[in-house]
Amino acid sequence: MATTKIKLRLNQQQLELIDNTIKSGESNSRDDLIRRALREFAKARLPAAEQDK
Amino acid sequence: MTTDRKLLQELIIQPGTGKALELRRGQVLRIAQTAGRQCADFNCFNLHDYKEFFHTGRTRHLHGMHPTKGDFLWSAPPRERPMMAIIEDTVGTNDVLYPRCSGFLFEHHYGLAVHTNCHDIQAEAQREYGLTPDDVHDSFNFFMHTGVSPDGHPYIAKNTAKAGDYVELQALMDVLAVPNVCGADVMMTSDFELKPLKLTIFEASDTDWAKVTEPPRMKNQRSPDMFKIRSIKADRELYKDAAYQPDFTNVPLEISEVEIDLNDEEMALLSRLAGTGKYGETDAEVLRYVFHTWWIDKFMRGPKHVPKD
Repeated sequence: MATTKIKLRLNQQQLELIDNTIKSGESNSRDDLIRRALREFAKARLPAAEQDK
Repeated sequence: MTTDRKLLQELIIQPGTGKALELRRGQVLRIAQTAGRQCADFNCFNLHDYKEFFHTGRTRHLHGMHPTKGDFLWSAPPRERPMMAIIEDTVGTNDVLYPRCSGFLFEHHYGLAVHTNCHDIQAEAQREYGLTPDDVHDSFNFFMHTGVSPDGHPYIAKNTAKAGDYVELQALMDVLAVPNVCGADVMMTSDFELKPLKLTIFEASDTDWAKVTEPPRMKNQRSPDMFKIRSIKADRELYKDAAYQPDFTNVPLEISEVEIDLNDEEMALLSRLAGTGKYGETDAEVLRYVFHTWWIDKFMRGPKHVPKD
């Protein structure tokens, strides 16, 4: 499956937050965690956000 | 489990006055209405280190603008400890938005150059313990009925406290607690009439302690032994330390680029989110916004600061 690379600019503190979340068992990798955030955020907010546009 | 409280002290404070009271951990201060509709301003210091004192800002952040039963009075950073717990509140109209009234306010707003005001009342009460007018801090305003108008300005509403109404504060550390009868007789605060307040100190019962769940301690609730400068500055002039070397936390903050692979479906979601124009200018900004707000919503402890769109 084709993928698109998005480059996030994050400092070491933001990476620490991500890595701590992974260590707590919420995800296997930075990539997985951020993709999960995208899917869950979109599911929760997209319809209303598009309606408000 | 003990339910009976031991009465330790009882006194009345008259209009225009306040009283500094020592409370040990586990003692309860009740501030009660005598006639009703009277605001009580309140300051609070660590009895063993006056540089730790009540902080309206952190209290307002954690408990909102009208803290009540179940909430805490927090000290300022870097201590940030719960100093007292509100274990009873029969009215529920407290305020941590307004500053204390002051001599300047009555002179500037009302043309009254010499007038009872909470700053000066606090300073006079605190003087009994060697504190100066500079040590008076933003007050917790008990029984002060306030709100914020749609245009963002605070307002004072009619005081609704009745005779016999009270709040109870349980000390979670040894404190100097300083309540005063608010001196604002030409403002709405106490319904244009100043009335005495009754103060009572009890030894907390087990039933009182059962009402309090103390928050866990954190490493960043720092004490002076963790400060780079541990002694209190004793002179008023400010001058540069020639030997000063900056030592800011986590500096330098270094930016990394983290590559995230999105499949077509995920990319379509990101494009739709970007299309709303709400979350950022670029796909990367949108994805960073999405991640952090999702994380806040899902994992952050304490009051959320991100609106639900």
